[in-house]
Amino acid sequence: MHPSDGTLRRSLDEPVALDPRARRHLASCPRCEQRLTAIETDAATAFATFAAHDPSINLDAARARLAESGAATAADGAAIRRSRRPARIGTRSARASRVMAGVAVAAVASVALVVSGGAQDFLSLFQPKQFAPVPVTSADIRSLAGLASYGAIHAGSSPNIQPEPDAAAAGLAAGLTPPAVADLPSGASAAPSYAVVSGTVVSFTFNAELARAAASRAGGQLPPMPRGLGGSTLTVSIAPAVVISYGLDLAALFQGGGLPSGGTSVIVVASRTPTVSSTGVTVKQLETYLLSLPGIPATVVSEIRAIGDPTKTVPVPIPIDLASASTVDVNGASGVLVGDSTQIGSLVLWQHNGIVYAVAGTLSSNQVLGIARSLH
Amino acid sequence: MVDSRAAHTLAVPFVNGGSLRSRASSGTSTEFDRLFTEEYPRVAAIANRVLADPAAAEDVAQDVFLDLHRRFGDDPGAKAPAWLHAAAVHTALNVIRTERRRSAREERSVAGPASSDDPQIAVEAAETRRAIQALLARIPRRHAMVLALRYSGLSYAEIATALGIGVNGVGTRLRRAEARLRKEIGDASI
Repeated sequence: MHPSDGTLRRSLDEPVALDPRARRHLASCPRCEQRLTAIETDAATAFATFAAHDPSINLDAARARLAESGAATAADGAAIRRSRRPARIGTRSARASRVMAGVAVAAVASVALVVSGGAQDFLSLFQPKQFAPVPVTSADIRSLAGLASYGAIHAGSSPNIQPEPDAAAAGLAAGLTPPAVADLPSGASAAPSYAVVSGTVVSFTFNAELARAAASRAGGQLPPMPRGLGGSTLTVSIAPAVVISYGLDLAALFQGGGLPSGGTSVIVVASRTPTVSSTGVTVKQLETYLLSLPGIPATVVSEIRAIGDPTKTVPVPIPIDLASASTVDVNGASGVLVGDSTQIGSLVLWQHNGIVYAVAGTLSSNQVLGIARSLH
Repeated sequence: MVDSRAAHTLAVPFVNGGSLRSRASSGTSTEFDRLFTEEYPRVAAIANRVLADPAAAEDVAQDVFLDLHRRFGDDPGAKAPAWLHAAAVHTALNVIRTERRRSAREERSVAGPASSDDPQIAVEAAETRRAIQALLARIPRRHAMVLALRYSGLSYAEIATALGIGVNGVGTRLRRAEARLRKEIGDASI
């Protein structure tokens, strides 16, 4: 029996609420997959529409105002007084601070992701197909992270991690078939543990006033804005991910625990490819404009523009003073390998058939690439 | 005034308490104080999803908390958060619909207080407000409510309690609301 539209809608926000029977059905029903895609598109539109800065609240001032209004109302029965607005402090909320890392990613994506189609599109929705490394320095990263100050970031519910007993349960919860590792190096734990990280949505809304101030801080002026740019929003919808761990306590890691000091650890992640949408202007217009802003390093601009077809490619910023990166082939798919000059480990990232995969481990580049190529 | 429908969704006894001012000056802490600290930002955020105007959203938050205290005093009970969430969205929607009926005041209402000295920025902000408010005014109230609550970050369980429906009904209502919103955007292209 097909799950209801309401159940499918809830599965996007709260996948663990889905009962096992519905999970099994969803994993194998093309019709429900099609319905889910339509529901997901409408949800992304709604998210982009309602993405807004939460008001900056000065609780003390608000409390004082309430006390005064209460006294005035009690004294003469007058309507609530609105003449005194509380002082507002422009502090960023703690939640917003926590998503700054996500913001940087969204900002970088906003620079780099381009969508085909005309400027008349109200909403553009697409899925990038592959990754390409873009070398950046630590200073470049600071500049790119500064793009976040050109607008407002809104993050959906914080991702949470849910342990799953086996691969089948994890796959059902995340809506995909988890990969199996065929070739683990000696020393790695043979018994994997499984978990699912919930999906989330992050948006970046361009704000002309904030942008003007940020441009001024960067020592330049804001270039003329195309019509519709003010308030335009870029939204990235991230699907739930299956995490398969060999030798790592996933729950502890997510709660801020460090990597184990010894032994070999490997993590494999698989998730449906994120979708990206824009409102107000096309992502192409947003990219062009953001690349013209003062303070964006010329080398980064040039690297991003050099990526062949950015409609389908997500640039992955690689801090060259910490790690090396190269483009690699993973069973026919183009991926990014982040090398082991960090002496911590290596990572490879690629996409195949609408699924993004990542393999990371406290191993050499060649070993991690070997594991990636052994997935089936 | 806060929409009375919000109060009707809760069937819990509330007890009248002391005045807000005397309590503030005495420094004593009450359940209402705790509730204010925990929920005021969220109530303002809910109103801001409807009004797209942070200053007007704080006005609504003030109205809602004042009404809560007027009705139920210093110890408003365990279901007060749900009452606040529903009241915030009802009151914000009433602001839109009342103001839109008053054509003479509409322009001032939609434009709201200028948030910037830059005329272009003020015009853009007013356009965003006008577009969102017009959208929410065109769709059924039950749809507008679930959208505002969900996109303020409330969980399905919290939305269910605020709307007085089962948690399974939240997904259904949200799906219908998003489909309707998408259609309205397609028809009107804000």
